[in-house]
Amino acid sequence: MWRGFSHLLKKDFKLMLSSKFFLLALISLVLYSCYINFVYVNLDQEMYPVYLYDPQDKLSVTSEYITKIDSREAVETACADQYSVGFDFSADKPELYMLSSGLETTDHYRMVWGEAVINGNVDGQAGVIGTNNKEMKNRREITAEFLFFELSAVGFLGLASMLFKEKQMGVIRVHGILPVRRSMFILSKLLLLLVSDLMFTSLLTVINLGVPYAIDVLPEVLLQAGILSLIMTLVGFFCAIRLPDFKQFSLFYLVLAVFVTTPVFLAGQTGIAWDWIVYHPMYHLFEAMKAAYFSTPMVEAPYYLICFGAIILLFLLVYQTLNCEMAKEG
Amino acid sequence: MIDVKDLTFSYGKDKQALHGLNFSVGDGEIFGFLGPNGSGKSTTQKILTGILKGHGGTVSLFGQDIKNAHTQEFFQKIGVLFEFPYLYANLSALDNLHYFASFYPKEQLRDAEELLDELEFKRDFLKKPVSSYSKGMRQRVSMARALISNPKLLFLDEPTSGLDPAGAVLFRKIIEKERQKGTTVFLTTHNMLDADLLCDRVAFISNGNIVALDTPRNLKEQNSNHSIVIDYLYQGKREEQTMEAPELKAGIPFVYDELISVHSQEPTLEDMFIQYTGRGLT
Repeated sequence: MWRGFSHLLKKDFKLMLSSKFFLLALISLVLYSCYINFVYVNLDQEMYPVYLYDPQDKLSVTSEYITKIDSREAVETACADQYSVGFDFSADKPELYMLSSGLETTDHYRMVWGEAVINGNVDGQAGVIGTNNKEMKNRREITAEFLFFELSAVGFLGLASMLFKEKQMGVIRVHGILPVRRSMFILSKLLLLLVSDLMFTSLLTVINLGVPYAIDVLPEVLLQAGILSLIMTLVGFFCAIRLPDFKQFSLFYLVLAVFVTTPVFLAGQTGIAWDWIVYHPMYHLFEAMKAAYFSTPMVEAPYYLICFGAIILLFLLVYQTLNCEMAKEG
Repeated sequence: MIDVKDLTFSYGKDKQALHGLNFSVGDGEIFGFLGPNGSGKSTTQKILTGILKGHGGTVSLFGQDIKNAHTQEFFQKIGVLFEFPYLYANLSALDNLHYFASFYPKEQLRDAEELLDELEFKRDFLKKPVSSYSKGMRQRVSMARALISNPKLLFLDEPTSGLDPAGAVLFRKIIEKERQKGTTVFLTTHNMLDADLLCDRVAFISNGNIVALDTPRNLKEQNSNHSIVIDYLYQGKREEQTMEAPELKAGIPFVYDELISVHSQEPTLEDMFIQYTGRGLT
């Protein structure tokens, strides 16, 4: 049995080489790393400007972040950008003034920042997140995002292109009459993709976090990457066998990218708050990946049980689909 | 070797493909399974090769019920030539054969190069990718793939399809050679000549039923009108007479100067198929 499996592995490895799978992964690795190291780590958000109208000089605090202005109208004009925060101290009770940006979370951060400035409470608050400095926070955040994207979209596409070749050549059917278990045909691809994804994960993490930080997070990150890799490979396997040609697969891929991955990124990385996102399975995988990078594992046994169950179910579904493909007419 | 009793199969509620087939194939026999498209012959072959599951009735191969027989040992004993030459297009003929052969025990394998030589495969192409081969060359590699494991039971689906006449003759010789070695052959085909020349017995299948099963000779004889056409020259003129075979017992009963030809008016296997099924083999 294992001899047959090793031959399947060898053949799949050759197919992956010929379909330039590893080359594409290497290009992705270089591009992601260049973007992280030369662009993203230097990105910083401008502080929310704080404008103060205080005709009676009630506020004793002075701060470099406060810009004093001389009328209520000036506060309103300055805050028209939906970004700045204004304070009006002319009445008995100080009044905070800001126009909503449309994003609840962002508005909340603006308010918190504005109050912190007015209360003289800014030292060591905004610059440090957990035990990370700003650069490390940026590195962890973007590495998690790129890895999630690579595993859920690019790897998925790579497997499908390889499988479509075998399907078009008809050789999947030949494996139905070979003295090797059909499950091995699936397992060899799963194993190769898993190893390849874990290597990619390790390299991306080491290159962009640095060795000491990478060693700390890698066990948890590899676990999450492994789960995501297995799920996405099985989904890719199912779609590639089920859909009749690569055109239809491309359309499906577009749907997957737009309707499945994008909401997860938006909910996870921006101020957009959707209550329904908690029912989106990919959202939990994304959050688990981020948590792994920030060494704050928040996932518990039910998460792993559901993932394990999903992998088993997907495997059975793929096995059934493979049987149907083998029995198809030429 | 193969014993099929009351074989039924359905693709869905209203899609009954096989309606209780009964036949058996002896060791070392070449058994032809003839039928038009959609008649159920591919379904039958898929059940016998273990690709399709969920059939009704009893099917036994190598003396074992097929429901328990689809193990690795079972697949080691069969060879299958598919209707289309399914091969890895990026690999060469040799690489394809080495890959597919790698799943069988080494001691039962034939030498890939020798086998390709026997199939008159052009040696220049041995290491070139399959994508550069003609249809006939691909069919030769596919046949080599089916034979490389020295199977005891060989399933051939349209073996001479895509071959030129010389290639078809070669394939028939190779199939005959396999029979002489003791290999049992289950041949599915549209090609009446292949069936007539190769098969010990043939079954006609139509709409999921076997409508006739016998040797090609018996099938033709049973339906022959035993008439003979004699073509001859008499007084410089070419003439033709049709008569019943018993009339020739005492010799040719008319005057002639020279005999040109004598033809028996036996129906062809295709005539018989149409007679039994009311359909052509398309």
